[in-house]
Amino acid sequence: MNANLRRNWLLQGIASVGDCGLFFVAVLGALPKSLRHWRETCRQVWFVGAMSLVIVMTCGLFVGMVLALQLYYTLSIFGGTAALGTVVALSLFRELGPVVTALLVAGRAGTAVTAEIGLMRATDQIDAMGMMAVDPLAYVASPRFLAGVIAMPLLACVFNAMGIFGGHLVGVTWLGLDNGTFWGNMTSTVSLHRDILDGLYKSIVFGGIVSLIAVFQGYTAPPTSEGVAYSTTRTVVFSSIVILAFDFVMTAFMT
Amino acid sequence: MNAVLANQKASPDALVQVRGLRTRIGAKTIFDGLDLDVPRGSITAIMGPSGTGKTTLLRHITGQLRPDAGSVIVDGEDVPKLSRRALFDLRERIGFLFQNSALLTDFSVFENVAFPLRQHAKLPEELLRNIVLTKLQAVGLRGAAQLMPSELSGGMARRVALARAIVFDPMLILYDEPFVGLDPIALNQVLRLIRTLNKTLGITSILVAHELAAIRQVADRVYLIANGKLVAQGAPDELAHQDSPWTRQFFGGEADGPVPFQYPAPDYATELGFAERTR
Repeated sequence: MNANLRRNWLLQGIASVGDCGLFFVAVLGALPKSLRHWRETCRQVWFVGAMSLVIVMTCGLFVGMVLALQLYYTLSIFGGTAALGTVVALSLFRELGPVVTALLVAGRAGTAVTAEIGLMRATDQIDAMGMMAVDPLAYVASPRFLAGVIAMPLLACVFNAMGIFGGHLVGVTWLGLDNGTFWGNMTSTVSLHRDILDGLYKSIVFGGIVSLIAVFQGYTAPPTSEGVAYSTTRTVVFSSIVILAFDFVMTAFMT
Repeated sequence: MNAVLANQKASPDALVQVRGLRTRIGAKTIFDGLDLDVPRGSITAIMGPSGTGKTTLLRHITGQLRPDAGSVIVDGEDVPKLSRRALFDLRERIGFLFQNSALLTDFSVFENVAFPLRQHAKLPEELLRNIVLTKLQAVGLRGAAQLMPSELSGGMARRVALARAIVFDPMLILYDEPFVGLDPIALNQVLRLIRTLNKTLGITSILVAHELAAIRQVADRVYLIANGKLVAQGAPDELAHQDSPWTRQFFGGEADGPVPFQYPAPDYATELGFAERTR
């Protein structure tokens, strides 16, 4: 790669971050107008939220189960298996719930949103809305952005619940931990403000990130089949990177 | 409604006036000082070789694209200088027929035609239904109201798009290649609709098309654009007999002429390596 090309890549990267930032401001600006299209927002919440339930619930269950298995092994070294419920719950609420849910939603709903908007652009539907004096940002972009922000924390809650259920299945039903100890230690240690709400704030931010990236990639996708495919891939890649980076930053500020 | 008020405005002759239009897209010059007028109530055809910027011109008229210089005045308003709100107000008075119809694929035919009304006018459901059915009847597709866009043929989709474009009774309709890909029956149906809308409702129409026979039947005036400039204009029959190299090539369908057959390229012999060998 020669220096010129590398500089161009860097400049393009910086430019597209800038474009995404401007797009974010435009989407926020269109939010009040998009409230008029509340039906569309509800439809998108259903699409991003309800339609992702199966994958989020299944993954939540297995993550909780595997977490309980691994932590049981680790805790048993120190003779602390009684803390299993607490550790599973804390790992889920503070970290795994928001992050894994966001990654799952990026893969399931984010890609679908990008492909849908990309194809709407390729078939002139976005331009047609503009020509009918309907702001596509208010009708297409903002409702999908809002839907991600609303649906993500709800899905993270479902993920956490299923994870704890999976942890309970492994810890109590399978490995024979005491049921009262499992729940008692968990409820006495996990704090609503410090643990549960912090996790929810994270997932609200992740919801915004995933839906912003998905909508932006769809909106700016070149109107070709290759362009839409490439943008869909970028939604997953960029979402994953930004989620994990923001996770680190937010955790650093919250702890 | 806005559209009705707009049609009553005291009007100079030209509904659309383009002056000194200059546009560059990337490294390519699309328009280099284009001037043209579209009289009210007329059907004006814009013709020219592919890639000459006919669709770009329509996008300037609707404010989807800003020119680098020059003015585009539609109904007395300079489009590039309009605020977003004023532009959207203007667009409520303009219908646009996209080349690929651009129907919203999530909605039925009825909801597609109802879409602009639902967005801009708070009408009782019964009145809205009647307006939509009237427009669908006008394009002969009242019976297809409940079909989805994926169930329509190309010709039907274009007629639905036309019903949607006229649902607000616009003062101006822009047709972007309305005849492409249509069989002769569908082509004649669309042709008849364009003429009927113009004659009965007095809607000014701008038509971008290549089909000479169709244009001769329907257009009052033709503008021929090439190399970013207006190269010929006049009534279709007049233009077909004009003795300029542009009209001769375009209307005669000649493969080579002012619009060259060869895309600009370096010298053929040099590129093949023969020139060096003969030296």
